[in-house]
Amino acid sequence: MKLSTRYNRVNILTSIVVLIITGIIYYLFIHLILTNKLDKDLAVEENEIRQYTRTYKKLPLPATYLDQQVSYRRPKSNTDDIREFSYTTYLNPKENEQEPGRRLVTTVNLNDKTIIVTITKSRVESEDLVRIILLITLAVMIFLLITLLLINRFVLNRLWKPFYAILHHMKAFEVTKMEHIIEEPTRIDEFNELNKSVNAMAEKVRQDYKELKSFTDNASHEMMTPLAVINSKLDSLLQTESFTEQQGALLEDIYQATGRLSRLHQSLLLLAKIENNLISDTQEIDFKDMIELKTRQFQELFERDKLNVSLHLSSRKVNMSRYLADILLNNLFSNAVRHNIAGGKITVSLSADRLTVSNTGKTSHLQNRMFDRFSKSTESEGMGLGLAISKQICNLYGFDIEYSNSDGMHFFEIILN
Amino acid sequence: MKILVIEDEPALYESILDYFTGEGNICEHAVNFASASEKISLYNYDCILLDLGLPDGEGLELLTNLKNSKKKDGVLIISARHSLDDRLAGLDLGADDYLVKPFHLSELKARVSAIVRRKNFDGNNIITFNDINVDVVAMKTTVGKTEVGLTKKEFDLLVYFLSNRNKVVTKNAMAEHLWGDEMDLSDDFDFIYTHVKNLKKKLSEGGAKDYLRSVYGIGYKFSDQ
Repeated sequence: MKLSTRYNRVNILTSIVVLIITGIIYYLFIHLILTNKLDKDLAVEENEIRQYTRTYKKLPLPATYLDQQVSYRRPKSNTDDIREFSYTTYLNPKENEQEPGRRLVTTVNLNDKTIIVTITKSRVESEDLVRIILLITLAVMIFLLITLLLINRFVLNRLWKPFYAILHHMKAFEVTKMEHIIEEPTRIDEFNELNKSVNAMAEKVRQDYKELKSFTDNASHEMMTPLAVINSKLDSLLQTESFTEQQGALLEDIYQATGRLSRLHQSLLLLAKIENNLISDTQEIDFKDMIELKTRQFQELFERDKLNVSLHLSSRKVNMSRYLADILLNNLFSNAVRHNIAGGKITVSLSADRLTVSNTGKTSHLQNRMFDRFSKSTESEGMGLGLAISKQICNLYGFDIEYSNSDGMHFFEIILN
Repeated sequence: MKILVIEDEPALYESILDYFTGEGNICEHAVNFASASEKISLYNYDCILLDLGLPDGEGLELLTNLKNSKKKDGVLIISARHSLDDRLAGLDLGADDYLVKPFHLSELKARVSAIVRRKNFDGNNIITFNDINVDVVAMKTTVGKTEVGLTKKEFDLLVYFLSNRNKVVTKNAMAEHLWGDEMDLSDDFDFIYTHVKNLKKKLSEGGAKDYLRSVYGIGYKFSDQ
């Protein structure tokens, strides 16, 4: 849920509740005030009747005005003085209909006799007033809600604009490009702070990246130089040519070992580079062309093991580093050759959504950890890094790599998205 | 040919000098930026082997200076940096080739020979060894007057042998030269044997002497001794 949606929801809900409560309180107060006023009017009337009675020793005429009725009656028995206000309805003779009213029942003394006086005043006017006030309140409430909604929609959106702009910059940030995150002009302190923090973080990341890059460079240099020395000394030693068959075999073993060591080192550096996304020559390449080229490169190996290779390729363009694509195909092809049987089969098929390399193989039990580093079958002469590198390359470009086997065939599938 | 080796690791430049000296090659070396700068400005070389990581300066700067002074020396960068950026930067600045450490001396020699051949393009694109003539541009091989039809791999192999004449070349180095070092080849290089055998057969059918011999199963040597 978006922050603004959530904020809107809470805001409007509480606004409605508060407005309803204030509306009710407002209504009750006005009602009370108007009733008080009516009661005062009734009291004034009562007072007038009392004074009239005292002065003229008789009751005034029971008069019926527009909104006031006065009537007298004798009590059935001797009663004490009473004075009661109450709500009532009465028949308005003019309109000839029942109307709400306020009634005061009181007593006056006339010639030592108690007479019950009933004064009724119409409440229609005050009810109308309350209704009008209620309507105005409602209108104000609706107007307020609409204003709130509009403010939330437009002002909030505008307020949050710098935030989304910063977010966009962060998403587009690539450490390899060494660019700065653009400062987003805003007068809001929080966003200014966010801007600063993001830039500080990017700066730190760039710094770390630089250090990492120089570390891998240095590590590579420091380890490769002794290896280069060993290699060149071996080459020099070989030129002296005065050694026995046995020494020759020893030399060959040393050659193999240094070769493996340098390949191992290169593979580890490559893994580190891919993990840290240090390879940036992304371009559009056609897997079909690359696979055909790779097949020609591996021709000698296929022939050596008498492998029957069949290709089912349709053109599929992929955006990735040519260097990594080459390594990925190398690994898949070498795997298919290395774990094959003499006179076996290799099938490579490429469609719009997947690349499958399948081969006949020696062992048919599945290894769960085959994509882990240095995991390899006992008879494998590889280093156990090929598939780890392949998986890492696939991860980098959002491909999935899967292994399955059936009927003595091993399948490596790369699902291209 | 006249060669300058700029490399700070004594064990490494000694081997290189050792391998290159002979056959009329003149080899010099510099161990730091200052002496390399001086040598480059004073003399002309057919090819300069340049290590990028020098103790007192950045190797690429030497290359820039060389190109700014309009010198025609060929440049081969030898570096431990296996980074694509550095490779591209070096080639952009005008280096002729880029070789990553560790390398085989035979590969280095083949690359240097190729650079020197390209630099002295004026009619000198033919490698001659006794009665064998190889035209690297037209990709034609003749023994005496007879033309020998070689496949691409056999031709590359022959040029490689001729660049490393009288030297033992390992199967390992040959495989990396022909198929590239990115290819994770198995340690069994016997499939090279097929190409060597075919090359040998075709050369002797053309009437050449048997110059190629196997050395202890490690590699081959091309010489007339």
